[in-house]
Amino acid sequence: MWHKISFRLLKQELKRGELTIMALAIILSVTAVLSLSLFSERLQSGLLERSSEFLAADRVLSSRRDIPQEWLDRADEEGIQSAWRVIFNSMAFANDKLELVDIKAVSDGYPLRGELKVADKPFVEGQVTNTLPPAGEAWVASSLFQALSLEMGDFIEVGNSRFKVTKVVTYEPDVGFSVFTDSPNVIIRYSQLAETGLIQPGSRVRYNVLFAGTPTQLDNYENWLLPQLNDDTHSWRSIEDGDSPLARALNRAERFMMLASLLGVVLAATAVAVAAQRYCQRNYDVVAIFKTLGAGKQQIRKIFVLHLLLLTGISVGIGILLGWLIQSYVINWVAEQLGASLPSASWRPYALAIATGLISAVMFTLYPLFRLISIPPLRVLHRQMVGVQAIRWLQWILSGGTIYGLLVLYSQQWWLSTALFVGGAFAAGILLLIGRLLIGAGRKAGMQAGSAWRLAMAGLQRRASANSVQMLSFSTAIMLLLLVIVMRNDLLADWQRQLPADAPNYFALNIAEEKVDDLRAMFAREDIEATDQYPLIPGRVTHHNGTELIDEVTKENREEVERGDREEGFGRELSLTWRDTVPPNNEIVSGEWWGDNAEPQVSVEKQAAERLEIKVGDTLTFNIGGEVFTVPVTSLREADWGSLQPNFYMIFNTSTLADFPATYITSFHLDSERKDELYQLFRPFPEASLIDLDAIIDQIREVISQVSIAILFVLVLVMIAGALVLIAQVQASMEERQKELVILRTLGASGKLLSRSISYEFLMLGAISGLIATIAMDLSLLILQTQVFNMDATWHWRLWLVGPISGAVVVALLGRLACSRLVRRNTAQLIRKLI
Amino acid sequence: MLIQTQQLEKIVETSEGPLQILQPIDLAINAGETVAIVGASGSGKSTLLSLLAGLDIATHGDVLIENEKLSDLDEEQRAKLRADKVGFIFQSFLLVPSLSALENVMLPAELAGHKGAEKEARELLEKVGLADRWHHYPNQLSGGEQQRVAIARAFVGQPKILFADEPTGNLDSKTGDKVEQLLFDLNKDYGTTLVMVTHDTTLAKRCQRILNMEAGQLAEASRDVA
Repeated sequence: MWHKISFRLLKQELKRGELTIMALAIILSVTAVLSLSLFSERLQSGLLERSSEFLAADRVLSSRRDIPQEWLDRADEEGIQSAWRVIFNSMAFANDKLELVDIKAVSDGYPLRGELKVADKPFVEGQVTNTLPPAGEAWVASSLFQALSLEMGDFIEVGNSRFKVTKVVTYEPDVGFSVFTDSPNVIIRYSQLAETGLIQPGSRVRYNVLFAGTPTQLDNYENWLLPQLNDDTHSWRSIEDGDSPLARALNRAERFMMLASLLGVVLAATAVAVAAQRYCQRNYDVVAIFKTLGAGKQQIRKIFVLHLLLLTGISVGIGILLGWLIQSYVINWVAEQLGASLPSASWRPYALAIATGLISAVMFTLYPLFRLISIPPLRVLHRQMVGVQAIRWLQWILSGGTIYGLLVLYSQQWWLSTALFVGGAFAAGILLLIGRLLIGAGRKAGMQAGSAWRLAMAGLQRRASANSVQMLSFSTAIMLLLLVIVMRNDLLADWQRQLPADAPNYFALNIAEEKVDDLRAMFAREDIEATDQYPLIPGRVTHHNGTELIDEVTKENREEVERGDREEGFGRELSLTWRDTVPPNNEIVSGEWWGDNAEPQVSVEKQAAERLEIKVGDTLTFNIGGEVFTVPVTSLREADWGSLQPNFYMIFNTSTLADFPATYITSFHLDSERKDELYQLFRPFPEASLIDLDAIIDQIREVISQVSIAILFVLVLVMIAGALVLIAQVQASMEERQKELVILRTLGASGKLLSRSISYEFLMLGAISGLIATIAMDLSLLILQTQVFNMDATWHWRLWLVGPISGAVVVALLGRLACSRLVRRNTAQLIRKLI
Repeated sequence: MLIQTQQLEKIVETSEGPLQILQPIDLAINAGETVAIVGASGSGKSTLLSLLAGLDIATHGDVLIENEKLSDLDEEQRAKLRADKVGFIFQSFLLVPSLSALENVMLPAELAGHKGAEKEARELLEKVGLADRWHHYPNQLSGGEQQRVAIARAFVGQPKILFADEPTGNLDSKTGDKVEQLLFDLNKDYGTTLVMVTHDTTLAKRCQRILNMEAGQLAEASRDVA
């Protein structure tokens, strides 16, 4: 029989809209978690797939020595595709000219991700190709045509072999951003590598094996392979490793999505918690009636547990359906925007969403349900009687534990969840305290105000305990919303700053000193925006504070390094430059820039300094073309490696380096429709090498636009969650207010006075919550920006006004809307509803 | 003897020390009797009702219903006893707002696990004149109609005892009269023992016995005094 009653209660209450908030809260938590995790999983795997193009693979194994063939065979067994890519420097001869080139010997399948584009003449748009150069042929970069005065069909000599140049390589997905270390590329077949005779013991060769497969295949293979790798010789990379602008953009986006989703989950869970409390309170009388009419505790427990489970089940079902619809709609839209398809998602988001709905509904209802079941039947005569109240701490433990559990479940990161939770709990405690203090102060101010204000302030004060809890959820909702909005804006602004529409898309290197003025004149004449021209002098750092630096730590010299006799150095020649002023996008973080000081000295880039433990005041010894000299380090600089400008580890003052022979480098922006002019424009500078970054920039922009859409989507969901918390909380507080309204109404208070006093009360609540939220938000942002996103900290002064005002307006509007029905009803109706 | 009390006392703890709400009460009510308990507000009449119905526990003394001591029963057993033998009517009707009139009337029978609850409930609704309004919710009914639903609910399952707490207290006099009439008619039809708390003397006079409660002390009142 009890299940009939349970079904009936549910049916009728659903029909009458009494369970709307509870159902909405559960639906929202499920929808939010499902669509967020489905969306981010699909988008992320899409993004990864897209960005894997930058590696030409999903994973790359690099080694300084040859890689055992059995490792490739094993990958083959796992169903993973693999291809060789061997890169080394060599001189190429043609037309009596000599040029240092990067030879890239690749095997069938290359590139495993992304596409290779080739053309029939240099400096034009290329076409996608699925083939590789046939034996005896080489495909070369546009800049080599310039350097070696090549014509199509000419032969170039590399080592013992001759290759016929048959195509221009216009785009290689894995060309990377390293402008200085890469000479023009020559692509040949891996099978012809041995014939060149260039690979000798001791040659500086980078052996790479590219891998592509499904995440599971790659994980399995990784588990097998990683234990066999030697840290000194091998490196195993995915696109998320590394310091490229793309990797950083991706990592930040991923962290943002994770964080915003977590905040969304917390908001949705808070809405469930508020609604659950109200759901049980609403049933206090019903339970008392049931008990009076002869229902036992067992029976009541069964009735309400079933009722709750049915409600949760239905809501979870709707949530799953909605979440799926939303994300498929959004995914289709995103795919349309990008002209790309996104891979399908796993079962995990579904499991996660169902678990979130069930866990939050059950756990947050547990304590209120416990109280509900303990309601004494005597309540039918004494309405003030409530159930067991002794174990309130249980509620805190249950709710806290649930939120923490959800955080861990969702993020699968203990440290992030713990940090968020502990920080959140601490903030909540402070918010509660500040809220109470502010309400107290507001009461004093209100005493001097008009009657509606006085009523409002008295109300605030009387419900101080309930209000500070309410304010906590208002503040949390407003804070999380502000946080997500600001984080999104900062993130996008940061990306846009890195990649403005006129970001340099070409690097020109190797410009002779005497041609620099001509080049500058050409840029001015052709209206081409270029960065400064930097002199470039190759040199090595040999000693740090007198200790010798070595290029490579090997078994033989490891002991010396450990003893401190020698230190590990850069491992390669560096590009050194000199300058009078601090370069744009560089910032001195330690020491001072030289200004007019002509004493020999050097400024070191911060990351390089950290790696080699260089501090201001240390000395560095350089070897440039056999000339050795020692200079003190007088400043450390932070360079923006994301900007497409020449950046340097070592910058000297002019007097130190000006006498060394130098070539020059610059970067400039040329509209893509003017690409054809490039060959002509650089005819007067035959020795210059050009590096085309357009394709890469486009790809980064595309990835960033995908991420931006994702972030917008997350933002909308978090906003809905926040609004629901506000509505649930206002609704809950309305029931508490009813009795008071009846009394005031009966005593003759006008509807206008009542609705005003309620609006003012909510206005104050909203304003205080908004203010607290803004303070908390700015503090959290400070931590997030510096600790999680590696961005510069910024204060958001405007929000100090926007937070409280928008909090006040939104909360007051919601409060007024919710109470307008109450105020409109006549007193008799209200009395009847209450008694 | 249907209901009996032995030295029934109720003391509650307040911030100013213990407060004796009921002085020791000995009372006996026979099956089929109609008894009114009258007295001023705060005299303890509702407390007595709650103890008689097993909604509350006495500090000392005992209530026996059909010779069964309520103090020997736990909360579950008391609930079972109410389900089997007791019906209630309250001043504030106490209908479940989310259930229709019919479902409210069916509720006690269903909680007691009786079969045919709907048929019985429909018959009762017809008897109280609400046959055509069975699907209405409490908030769609007037006060008088709600109390008629409550009366129908009280008689479902044919309880031996009916406890009524100010059954007409929330109604205007005209509606109150109608509801009163209905209550006594049904009570007569079903032969139920009625224990009613009221301060309406006219209503009290319709009962066979009137007990007067004053400062926690119960005394048999003459019908004239009442």
